[in-house]
Amino acid sequence: MSGGMLYGGDEIGALVFDPGHHSLRVGYAQEDTPKAEIPAVVGVASDDVKTEPEIKPEENNVSSTPSSNKYYIDTTFLHLPKPNMELHSYMKDGMIENWDLFEQILDYSYEKIIQSESHFHPVLFSESPWNQRQKREKLTELMFEKYKVPAFFLVKNAALAAFANGRATALVIDSGATHTSAVPVLDGYVITNAVVKSPLGGDLLVLRAREMLESIGVDLTPAALIASKEVIREKEKPKFTKKKFNFQPTNSWMTYMVKRTVQDFQQTVLQVSENPYDEKVAMNIPAVQYEFPTGYHQDFGPERFKLAEGLFDHPMLGAGYIASTSAGMCDVDIRPALYSSVVLTGGNSLVQGFSDRLSRDLSSRTPGSMRLKMIAANGTVERRFGAWVGGSILASIGTFQQMWVSAQEYQECGKAQIDRKCP
Amino acid sequence: MADVRDIMELERPPTPEITRETILGDKTKKRTSVGPKVPKRPEGMHREVFALLYNDNKDAPPLFPSDTIGNNGYKQTKIKLGMRKPRKWVWMPFTNPARTDNATFHHWRRPSDEPKEYPFAKFNKKVEIRTYTDHEYQQHLKCEGWTKEETDHMMDLAHRFDLRFLMMADRYDTERFSKRSVEDIKERYYKICGVLAKLNGEKKIYTYDGDHERRRKEQLKKLYDRKPEQIEEEQFLLGELKKIEARKKERERKTQDLQKLISQADSQNETPRKTDKKLPKKKISNPSRPSRVDTNHIFQVIESAGIKFPDFKNSGVSLRSQRMKLPANVGQKKSKGVEQILQEMGLELNPTPSEEICQHFNELRSDMVLLIEIKAALSTCEYELQSLRHQYEALNPGKSLSIPPQLLSSADGEGKISTGEIIDVVGSPGTPSNT
Ligand SMILES: Nc1ncnc2c1ncn2[C@@H]1O[C@H](COP(=O)(O)OP(=O)(O)O)[C@@H](O)[C@H]1O
Repeated sequence: MSGGMLYGGDEIGALVFDPGHHSLRVGYAQEDTPKAEIPAVVGVASDDVKTEPEIKPEENNVSSTPSSNKYYIDTTFLHLPKPNMELHSYMKDGMIENWDLFEQILDYSYEKIIQSESHFHPVLFSESPWNQRQKREKLTELMFEKYKVPAFFLVKNAALAAFANGRATALVIDSGATHTSAVPVLDGYVITNAVVKSPLGGDLLVLRAREMLESIGVDLTPAALIASKEVIREKEKPKFTKKKFNFQPTNSWMTYMVKRTVQDFQQTVLQVSENPYDEKVAMNIPAVQYEFPTGYHQDFGPERFKLAEGLFDHPMLGAGYIASTSAGMCDVDIRPALYSSVVLTGGNSLVQGFSDRLSRDLSSRTPGSMRLKMIAANGTVERRFGAWVGGSILASIGTFQQMWVSAQEYQECGKAQIDRKCP
Repeated sequence: MADVRDIMELERPPTPEITRETILGDKTKKRTSVGPKVPKRPEGMHREVFALLYNDNKDAPPLFPSDTIGNNGYKQTKIKLGMRKPRKWVWMPFTNPARTDNATFHHWRRPSDEPKEYPFAKFNKKVEIRTYTDHEYQQHLKCEGWTKEETDHMMDLAHRFDLRFLMMADRYDTERFSKRSVEDIKERYYKICGVLAKLNGEKKIYTYDGDHERRRKEQLKKLYDRKPEQIEEEQFLLGELKKIEARKKERERKTQDLQKLISQADSQNETPRKTDKKLPKKKISNPSRPSRVDTNHIFQVIESAGIKFPDFKNSGVSLRSQRMKLPANVGQKKSKGVEQILQEMGLELNPTPSEEICQHFNELRSDMVLLIEIKAALSTCEYELQSLRHQYEALNPGKSLSIPPQLLSSADGEGKISTGEIIDVVGSPGTPSNT
């Protein structure tokens, strides 16, 4: 600690959780990246089916008491089809919805990722800016009562993302899986009344891409079902053999796996054009080749831009529009400050060309007298884990240590404490 | 530094040589050997190239940072590793005095370090927020439109958000109370502060003008909400305004110049006609009146109103006829004009230069030049007037601009008009000064 004053940090072994629709990010504060990114879906199988020989469920999953269901968590276990395994998401609207499943995920995190007892570590959670009071209290209760954490804190993910980019005041554009939001942050506080949210996110791109691929007849069989494939020429019919299972994978599992497949396609191929989509311009840009798990491959030209255009061309929900709307709802005095630090975060902002296009759209809406500055971390990690990194920084700052809601405080004042202490 | 000197072609001070003495900082032995040989860079050779040349004075640059203190050289010196036992770090509990609950957290610390107060606690700063008692509230702080509950809520928010009024407005409990604007909250808060301060007998009482703030923000909002076209238009109009102002200034300057010209003419004619004197004065009293005179000619004229004959008084012996010679700065055109008038008047071009004749002749010719210049000015003014009239008529079809006759000089009488008359016309009381 003696040298700690030099950099203002004081690490107290805190954990940082950043739940999202796509994944939950977990790790130790003061590290640069989360220890794990766990998909935000849980596989649930009723127990009367005999387990597959090659996996040992006793080790991999945790059974909950009431119905002795088996839970499958994390990529390794999710990606293998299991009889009757239905996949469920525990998130809804950016908030935790299914608490049973969420507890499963937390149990798993402590056991497999953190590998330490929960009562040793203060916990910092991120939450969406529109999280409801009752959900915040429920989470507080869960952490203190079930996990016996010594201290707990909740911060809005937009504020954390701003911190991660070195700002306390910023207009945070967070483009995640299910939605894109524009959140003004002032001195580390989110201005809740000026948050603007649109349902145009990564999942929309995946959906559109899937529709497009299916319409041109691409076989989207996920890699998990493919035993072998042959090298073929472009646009040739794929030749592959499927893995043999003596059961039918569930629909929800298939949907999820196809989504993962298309997600990869979306991440490698899609690009936002710098100016509003123009077929003629897009035609002139070299096509990108993509090979599907089946071995089928072909070039994708203008489609790449056409699909990604969906994030921006909507007159009311396009990213540039919600950003300027949000700034416009803030007090006039702080608008220049917001425009001068527009922080871009969220995995979906990594779609190629996203930041350029947003910058272009936004600058055309920026009042003439204001300076527009976009802050977008270059690294994919910083962008995808923006909120987590901010939490990691915050929880290991010496001056933050007085902010925690401690177990003592919880005992004395109850869960309502969270609303007062975590703005 | 040296590079700058090179670029500026300044003399380079002799580079201090790197010798063992200088490194050791051995100051007892003065370096005297520096002066003589610092070869100069040949003209045209690049400084970088020159720096590469071998040079006796320079030691080869050291590859290693070497410490050659003592006689052993660096070879003998060894880094002392592992001589001391490392101090231990322990995961230790601590309490933070900035917390009110005495919660203990853990962090790594050297047990050898003295346990002291948590170093970050001193950053725990709070904004001082006034409080009031029930009694005080009932007595002094009641306000229409605000219940005590709402006031309490507002003060609580002020406390929680350290007076960040924007946040207070954002997190206002709109379920229990109606929504309040930032200005409403500020108004109420500062009012309370003011009252409490007065009760405390404080001298300085701050007041907050909510209406002013509201108006300011309204304006600011309007400013920001302008559309690009509006901004463009504004820029355009601003540009136009600038142009207009520049034109106006130019004109004023020209009017002044013209006035100068006229007063000069007056002063030259002072002796014969004293009455004219009041005219230029009157004109000078309102020089800012807009003028429409817009010609370069007048401008040129000003440079040389009349003829300035050189003063021969102090320049020794000279022929008097020399004084009658037109100075070189009188242009050809003018001297031709003077000649012409002289001929018209039937005067000699070179009269006998007696003292008197010489003086009058010079004055006469000076007036003639002035006359020519004023005539030229007049005709340009008239031209201007006509063209403006055409403009006016083009812009207002069907209307015609009648020009007061005083403004028009009769073309036929031109030849006979004497200098005095022209000046009278220019400055006569009925003439608008914008001629
Ligand atoms: N490199 C990438 N390129 C394009 N999209 C990506 C990339 N990485 C992640 N994404 C997309 O980002 C979304 C997940 O973003 P994230 O911020 O993690 O969402 P959430 O906060 O809702 O969990 C997914 O839709 C995913 O497809």
